[in-house]
Amino acid sequence: MRGQDVHALKDLNIEIHEGEIFGYLGPNGSGKTTTIKMLLGLIFPTNGIIEILGNRSISSAAVKKDIGYLPEGAYYPDFLRGEEILSYYGKLYGLRGADLKRRINETLEMVGMQHARRRLLRGYSKGMRQRIGLAQALISDPRILILDEPTTGLDPIARKEIRDILLRLRAQGKTLFISSHELLEVEMMSDRVGILFNGVLQTIGSMEELLIKREMTVDVDGLTDEVATSLTERGVSIEDRTGARAQLRVGGSLSIFDVIELCKEKALQIHSVTPRRETLEELFVRVVGAAEAARS
Amino acid sequence: MNALTNYFRGPFYIALYTYREGMRRKLLIGFLVLSLLVIFGSSFIATFLDPSAETDIDLKLIKDICVSAIAIFGVLIAVYISASVVPNEVENKVIYTVLSKPVGRMQYLLGKFMGAQFIIMVNLAIMGGLFFMALYMREGVMPTLLLWSILLTYFEFLIVSSFTFAVSCAATTSLVPILGGLFIYITGNLTEYLKDVEHRAGQTGEWFDAMIGHIATGLHAVLPNLQNFSLKMQIVTGQPNDPPADVLIPNLLLYGFLYGLAGFLCAYIIFWRKEV
Repeated sequence: MRGQDVHALKDLNIEIHEGEIFGYLGPNGSGKTTTIKMLLGLIFPTNGIIEILGNRSISSAAVKKDIGYLPEGAYYPDFLRGEEILSYYGKLYGLRGADLKRRINETLEMVGMQHARRRLLRGYSKGMRQRIGLAQALISDPRILILDEPTTGLDPIARKEIRDILLRLRAQGKTLFISSHELLEVEMMSDRVGILFNGVLQTIGSMEELLIKREMTVDVDGLTDEVATSLTERGVSIEDRTGARAQLRVGGSLSIFDVIELCKEKALQIHSVTPRRETLEELFVRVVGAAEAARS
Repeated sequence: MNALTNYFRGPFYIALYTYREGMRRKLLIGFLVLSLLVIFGSSFIATFLDPSAETDIDLKLIKDICVSAIAIFGVLIAVYISASVVPNEVENKVIYTVLSKPVGRMQYLLGKFMGAQFIIMVNLAIMGGLFFMALYMREGVMPTLLLWSILLTYFEFLIVSSFTFAVSCAATTSLVPILGGLFIYITGNLTEYLKDVEHRAGQTGEWFDAMIGHIATGLHAVLPNLQNFSLKMQIVTGQPNDPPADVLIPNLLLYGFLYGLAGFLCAYIIFWRKEV
């Protein structure tokens, strides 16, 4: 008896540019973690080539020295202190003595954990554990960081802190490959994204290339119920209304000029006219929805 | 030389980490405490013996209980730790953080295996050391025979732990390798009986009977005979400072080492292309 072969990834072709944050997105089971494991040599592709920093031997020590990895939900022993964890991982990179101490200090400083370096991990919050996880990925000062769900399960403040750290790392010239379900965060940080579904890369590109600038919004004041009804009847959709203030979304057969004329006609005060870009969430739903429809 | 030192540096740090983590495991501490209680308690049990019985029967009983306690709890510790060091790291994803560092799979396995061996050695030293002191205080002579016995027991555990470790590299949880390890220990202690099967087979002239004889011969040649490492009878009945009788210590150490190496190589063959 033999099980059916499953192709976790098919015809995957991704190129990550140096110094960018690349957001790797996809629903559960789409193959994101499989991709990361292949990049790290934890599992092996049946076919194809993986090249990191121009080197095809991704399992070689020289390549691994330039890669830092933060797995999703990794556990670190409770009985160790923050600095002991970093010391252990640093030694695996061959760091010793003054170099190791310096790197431990630098990474703890970078992730904002200097104050808790001597505390046992059992006293750490989830956010602190994640920051120590990030620190272990950074201990060798790698050029590439591969992060699997770096902010999942964290509170908003911890998320913001991790996001700020990642943006600082990009500013230092690091290349970040982030696999995540947190679309808003990926949109805020990433230079480029790729969306994976069912093991196939559905789309890849920069935010400017992928997110459609499809609508304009007009921010108005002085809206009454009567005017709102009239505008709706004319085909203008009203969003985010708070009392007399609202956003009018321009779409359908109306042009922006038509809507501005309507506002004048109804004596509405125009605060701003803004082009509205599609969100990453909308892109994700659109791309995955289309792929799902094509599959079925 | 420098390259060799660099190569073994990674396994050494992994072994230290494994040792520090392993020695804090509650189940392992439980086994150790139980074994120490049994070693302490053996003197207490001996007080219940009939005073009119054989003069040194209480001492024989204490020795018997202590040697058995070291063997039983020692193998439980060896099997438990060898079965869990790798599957635990897969389960809690620590293995990803280690293998993504400049550490090869062989270095990783070597580190985990060495760490498990440190734990087994330290636990055996604690149990054996306590028994050694108890025996010395009771008999007033250095029980050197016990030291030989502890050394041989470690090599017996090395065989069991290396094959348990190999099974654990194929498993996703530690339960299967624990059962496998206990099976290896029991089978290894029954290897001696395969000789009897070999001698008795072939008497009926039936092909089935002959085949069993061949299988027994093959298994006897391949399986380790753990009974070779036991000095229990001599410890119980002999003098504490007697030299080991009927055994060739260097040969047995080599025998244990080679089986240990075979077990470790099996682990590597299973693990080197395993998808973790």
